[in-house]
Amino acid sequence: MPVISLILLGSVLLLPAAALLSLRWATRSGQFTLMNRAALLPFDDEEPIGQATDQILGDNRR
Amino acid sequence: MNSTTASKALKALLPGDFSNETGRRAHLAEIDASCRVPVLFFFLSGLLWLLIGTLFALLASIKLHTPEFLAGQEWLTFGRVRTVHLNTVVYGFASQTAIAVAIWLMCRLCRVPLIASGVITVANLFYNIGLTVGIIGIFAGDSTGIEWLEIPKYATPIIFVSYALIAVWMIIIFRLRTERHLYVSQWYLLAAVLWFPWIYGTAQVMLLVEPVRGVVQAAINWWFAHNVLGLWFTPIGLAAIYYFIPKVIGRPIHSYYLSVLGFWSLALFYNWNGMHHLVGGPLPAWMITVSIVASVMMLIPVFAVAINHHFTLVGHFGKLKHSPTLRFIVFGAVSYTLTSLQGVLSALRSFSEVSHFTHHTVAHAHLGMYAFFGMVMFGSMYYILPRITQREWPSNRLISVHFWASALGIILYVVPLSLAGFQQGRLMNNAAVKFLDVVQFTLPWLQLRTLAGCLLALAHLAFVVHVGWLLLRMLEPYRKPVLNILTGGEIPATTEK
Repeated sequence: MPVISLILLGSVLLLPAAALLSLRWATRSGQFTLMNRAALLPFDDEEPIGQATDQILGDNRR
Repeated sequence: MNSTTASKALKALLPGDFSNETGRRAHLAEIDASCRVPVLFFFLSGLLWLLIGTLFALLASIKLHTPEFLAGQEWLTFGRVRTVHLNTVVYGFASQTAIAVAIWLMCRLCRVPLIASGVITVANLFYNIGLTVGIIGIFAGDSTGIEWLEIPKYATPIIFVSYALIAVWMIIIFRLRTERHLYVSQWYLLAAVLWFPWIYGTAQVMLLVEPVRGVVQAAINWWFAHNVLGLWFTPIGLAAIYYFIPKVIGRPIHSYYLSVLGFWSLALFYNWNGMHHLVGGPLPAWMITVSIVASVMMLIPVFAVAINHHFTLVGHFGKLKHSPTLRFIVFGAVSYTLTSLQGVLSALRSFSEVSHFTHHTVAHAHLGMYAFFGMVMFGSMYYILPRITQREWPSNRLISVHFWASALGIILYVVPLSLAGFQQGRLMNNAAVKFLDVVQFTLPWLQLRTLAGCLLALAHLAFVVHVGWLLLRMLEPYRKPVLNILTGGEIPATTEK
């Protein structure tokens, strides 16, 4: 019984707290500003925007 | 003070000084090479479990229309065969490929190589030991009898600890990131690796270690089972979709704002959904009602994701012809929308009255786990494997066989069984129809399902053979790939011997 109460209390208190803290961190560290910049993260100088990858089927082979 | 010391110590493990200050960022090929061994191990053991899971899926499917098939031995009875199928594909195939994809994505988006990758490989070894013990336990009759948690409790701690090790490593990679901004995939990945131990641990303790009594067991059971899908597989699947669609077509996501809204609304609503499995059960009505409301609220994240992916892809559909990754991923993304809408419908009391306890639910589960998640994982593997092995896929034909057999197979599985399952429910609710007549009605549909299962098995065999062929190419001397799998360039001389 004590173990279960602990888990329940922990879940009820810690998880929303963790969610709120991460939301606070995200807001403060500017994750929600410059949204367009974040959208560019999968791209870089090596594989810039406009460059398709994985085009390996069909006419592209050999 | 401690956190900076720890962070310095971790940074010392990196093969170079990667930071915003020095401006040195890891090359893509460098990151891929650092992930090679652990990611390969997870993929290969995942595929091995996929083959085992497929075999037992076929046995279970055949037994449903031909019950005398292999009924002589108790370890091959339906109750065990079906349970083995579920646990091998969920914890063997799906979870292991999910972990591999998550590690690779996390390293790429944080722009750091994987440090001390041996730790992940060891975790993989123990994960598989735990799972093997668990599956043998199920065969031996030790199943706990709780859906999605059948693995006996002497095996779960091994799985849990190896999983925890992986989760910690993911967070360490995240701490070492050289990019200050997070991409939406990282939100999903971080959330998933933290949510899963919480739901798995809570369910283990409350159902197996110190079991609660009565209907609360059912409540926790379905809270867990639904959240495995919603808080573990779905976020990793979406993280992969959010990365691969822009990456393959070379165009940023349509609306980043919408993707963030999708993430936070999923985080808010998904974890309430489980009780809709218990519509009509002896639970307080408010618990079920809350769950139904939250299930309907899931329309927000689902539409956010669907709209975003569609508008990202508009004008680039031609690339589906050339990219195996995009084919599988788009198939998965569309299935995600469909399975979510079907899920919302099934959560409603009026619909659930008919569809509950029928094959409709089975079809829905496969639409989610296979047509969405499984296909997204296949697509991810098509992208990741050539990059970590630095070898090209040997055969276009095998890719086509894999795609068409799995796509047609899962459509043939889901569509007829959804419809037949609904009719089955209507017949069962009709007091004038004898139960055996309902059973007779389902027979041809169950046989059709076995046929669909054979197609899926063919697809898996084609893929496993292809992966084996790709790995054989690693034995040959390295040749510069002809195709643009390595658009980021070769591995720099410093890391390739």
